[in-house]
Amino acid sequence: MTRLPRSSALRIDTDRRLRFSWCGSARAGYEGDTVASALWSSGVRTFGRSFEYHRPRGLYDLEGEGASQLVSIDGVPNQSAGTTLLREGMAVAAQNVRGDPRSDAFGFLDRLDRWMPAGFYYRVFHRPHAAAHFVHNRMRAMAGLGILDVSTSGDPGRREEIFLNADVAVIGGGAAGMRAALAAAGAGTRVCLFERRPWLGGHLDWRLGLEGADGPDSPRARGRALAEHVGSDARIRVFTSAPVTGIWGENLVTGFQRVGAADPFVERHWECRARTIVVATGALERPLVFNHNDRPGVMQADTAWRLARTYGVSPGAVVVFSAGDDLALEAALDLLSLGVDVPAIADSRPEGQDPELVSRIAESGAELLTGWAASQVVGRRVVRGVQLAEIGGSTRREFPCDVVVANAGRQPDIGALSCAGARFRHSTHTGSFELASLPSDVFAAGRVLGLTDSVEIEATGTLAGLEAASACGASVSGTLAAARAEVAEGAGAPPGTGIVRGPDIGEGRKAFLDYDEDGTWKNAVQCAALGFDVPELAKRFGNFGLGPGQYRVPGQNVAMAMAEIEGRPASDVASTTVRPPIIPPSLATLAGPNHDVHKRTPLHEDQAARGGVFRRAGAWKRARYFSADYTCREEIRNVRENVGLLDSSPLGKFRIWGPHALHALQRVYISDMRKATRGRCKYSAMCNDTGNVVDDGVVIPVGEDDYYFTTSSNRAGSTVEWFRYHTRYDGWDYNLLNLTDALASINLAGPEARAVLERVTDADLSNDAFPYLGYRVIPVGDGVEARCMRLGFVGELSYELHVGASYAQYAWDLLWDAGAELGIRPFGLEAQYCMRAEKGHVIIGAESEQRVTLLDIGMGWLWDRSDTASKKVGAPALRACEEQDGRLELVGLRIDDAGHRPEDGAIVVDGDRIAGYVCTTRVSGALGYQYGLALVEEGFAVEGTTLSIYEHLRSDDVRTSATVVPPHFYDPKGERLRV
Amino acid sequence: MTFRLTCPVCGPRDVYEFRYGGPERGPRPDQEDLDPEAHFRWAQFRMTRPEAQEEWWYHAGGCGVWFSTVRNPATNREETS
Repeated sequence: MTRLPRSSALRIDTDRRLRFSWCGSARAGYEGDTVASALWSSGVRTFGRSFEYHRPRGLYDLEGEGASQLVSIDGVPNQSAGTTLLREGMAVAAQNVRGDPRSDAFGFLDRLDRWMPAGFYYRVFHRPHAAAHFVHNRMRAMAGLGILDVSTSGDPGRREEIFLNADVAVIGGGAAGMRAALAAAGAGTRVCLFERRPWLGGHLDWRLGLEGADGPDSPRARGRALAEHVGSDARIRVFTSAPVTGIWGENLVTGFQRVGAADPFVERHWECRARTIVVATGALERPLVFNHNDRPGVMQADTAWRLARTYGVSPGAVVVFSAGDDLALEAALDLLSLGVDVPAIADSRPEGQDPELVSRIAESGAELLTGWAASQVVGRRVVRGVQLAEIGGSTRREFPCDVVVANAGRQPDIGALSCAGARFRHSTHTGSFELASLPSDVFAAGRVLGLTDSVEIEATGTLAGLEAASACGASVSGTLAAARAEVAEGAGAPPGTGIVRGPDIGEGRKAFLDYDEDGTWKNAVQCAALGFDVPELAKRFGNFGLGPGQYRVPGQNVAMAMAEIEGRPASDVASTTVRPPIIPPSLATLAGPNHDVHKRTPLHEDQAARGGVFRRAGAWKRARYFSADYTCREEIRNVRENVGLLDSSPLGKFRIWGPHALHALQRVYISDMRKATRGRCKYSAMCNDTGNVVDDGVVIPVGEDDYYFTTSSNRAGSTVEWFRYHTRYDGWDYNLLNLTDALASINLAGPEARAVLERVTDADLSNDAFPYLGYRVIPVGDGVEARCMRLGFVGELSYELHVGASYAQYAWDLLWDAGAELGIRPFGLEAQYCMRAEKGHVIIGAESEQRVTLLDIGMGWLWDRSDTASKKVGAPALRACEEQDGRLELVGLRIDDAGHRPEDGAIVVDGDRIAGYVCTTRVSGALGYQYGLALVEEGFAVEGTTLSIYEHLRSDDVRTSATVVPPHFYDPKGERLRV
Repeated sequence: MTFRLTCPVCGPRDVYEFRYGGPERGPRPDQEDLDPEAHFRWAQFRMTRPEAQEEWWYHAGGCGVWFSTVRNPATNREETS
């Protein structure tokens, strides 16, 4: 737990201690720590065991670049220790381990590599065939990473997705990315900036300058200043902790975001549609391949540096460097300034180091060995020392140490660029693959171009930002020329060695190209020998870069290694293609938002207080029942005998007006809408071009060329689209307004409905003044205007009141008080469904589906067949199927068996042939028997026919018999509606 | 399927905001003396070739306008006619 002296770059809060466990033992870290930094500071060196050989693995990187640092957290496997922030009470465990990670029971597998050559899954243990399955299963049980325990990983937490639009998407929030964002925003474009770390600044964040003092000219101060500018620019939206997963067609950038405890969502998927993209993803460390380079204690330069500066954790007592670039030398100097013992620094470059760094290292007393590289790690379980070797020479020196910092130089982080369609070629100058071509609307800046000079990095950022803005049409002519000139003056990318491996790679020792799937140099040689000599082939056969870290660790090394093994220049080979996800999000996030987004009516809380049981119905949550009796016997009885109140607010409510409003109604409704008269509800239906019923409702003329109409609840969202679509050629002048959410709807039904309503309004409700199917605008209570329709959907005297949503509770309360003595009770959607079925009223979607026409469900009387001038939607199809054989017909069912009630959707059979299906069945208190509606073939639609209904329930064949009756069970003459 | 479309009201927007209304097939045929076969072809047949075609889109997640645009399904790009 001891941390290095406080420095300004620290990202932990040492006042806030967090407790967690590691493989069952208690540990502690600080707020701001990642799991990796907390583990390392508490002395953990072995984080887990490798995929195939079960070799001990430790903290190689802090960026989630490979499988070595994957751990299981609270039962969820394969979490990146390097990028997951520590939380109080976390249970962290090692993966692919039997027993303690330091002495894993399967560790012996490391000695069996002779039987596990490259591609051995494809090559060995295949004969005899019967045994192959057994052996492969055994191998799979021993190999692998984390194990998903489905019994404990139940709740994945809340997930969210957001969709963004931007002119310029900037990927990477380092110096170049920030300059690009500022330049593009300055040119007037809207920018989204995505940074995978929790803060902006890139590597500037932990670089305090060669004095280690964080002065005003330090890189860190520069990073902070840029971040402040970016943060205060209203045109730039900044997303931190937001790694990019891929770039897709037409500049769609996708990624995820995991902010931490302050966010209500565990993880968020985001998609940003951008007109142009700036990629400033920086550089990755290119690993040095040498013997036992996977021992816990071998790490990247940035890992050691960030452990010290960002988290205040000393990487080790004695740290030996084998570096390939100036940043690593700077890291070594910084560790020395913090009091870490760095006895030796090998640099694989024979020359070309920054002279200032060289002279400072000389002053520090550390030994700088140029043209040297690490050849072998000493120590079986963790690093105990390292052997450094002169490249091309025979001199070897061994240094005792507990940490080896090793890299072969830096390589551009080409992930995002590769996904965007950029091409790369090998450069003998930089020793790595560099950008060869870019798609026209993608720009690159900074270290991804191989640059190391901070002035040049920022200049390319500005240029890329201006180019991106210019491609969006912004006027940047003056500044663009100046930015181009500044970049042209730069020295460009500095030279690098292109070395992949240290000296002394030989038989019998393992030197890893890819840690994730234990891909060694020897495996690469075996791949080449078997003919898989091209990088893309070796990648697949030898599993280089197919693990969780993807291209990062093996990356360009695989291509360069294959070239070296084949004795060809690296410029002859192509680097492997990077595919999404560049950084994998969790599967739960990809599965989509798991919270329930729904609409609530203005009467939701009131109904909940009255015991409403809510169910999802389309976009809405609606009260389906008001008791635990899901047959709703009491609710129905009360409506039939007294009076009930239903919240029907989700009903679609629309106003259409304008000179051509009637034209539009005539087009989409199947009836003659000219016959609609003021003060009266005209019931009709809409069909589609196949003659299927898609909607039904009432239309009421309320003024000159002005109509009010209702649609079914599920149809409300697409009604405007439907009207506009079917009138799109006509150039008609009408306005259409969706009032569904603006108006609440309350249905008052039952013999006492009039008595209740009379108590809240002065309007004349007598049967003469306000007859069945009438429409009146009446005042209720203190004069609240209610559109009142006298309808009979449930088969009783009934009034439907539409009031402004904000008056809904007022009107509802009035009716409650008025009905208290008359036995008023709420009823839910299920009771409504039962009662309408007793009346034989169809529900779109229950008695109709995409094969069922208006004629099939017995509603052909709605169709105005004389009207061809309106070009009614669906009329030609109805005409065509009128005389068609083999159509189904809607009938009523009286179910003979009192015990079993067939489910909705059960099939009607004739022997072993299907002859129709059941649409709805319910048990009726009013009728005293089970009844239903079904669609059956013509021959079975005759009254009195006995139908056989077949179901396959819990592996039993169940047959129920039913008798065909007219589809009006309750009050067939409709007398109760008209009282 | 990811691309952008240009709404005549709102400008270039993500395709997720739009709903497809099929390729252009001319106005609704007259229903006087209608040949059922011809109407069936008009109503039900959709032809999409990998070449520029005029098609209808509805800006469902935006202004709610139906518009037609010329798009090439092979490239998913709009082409100005």
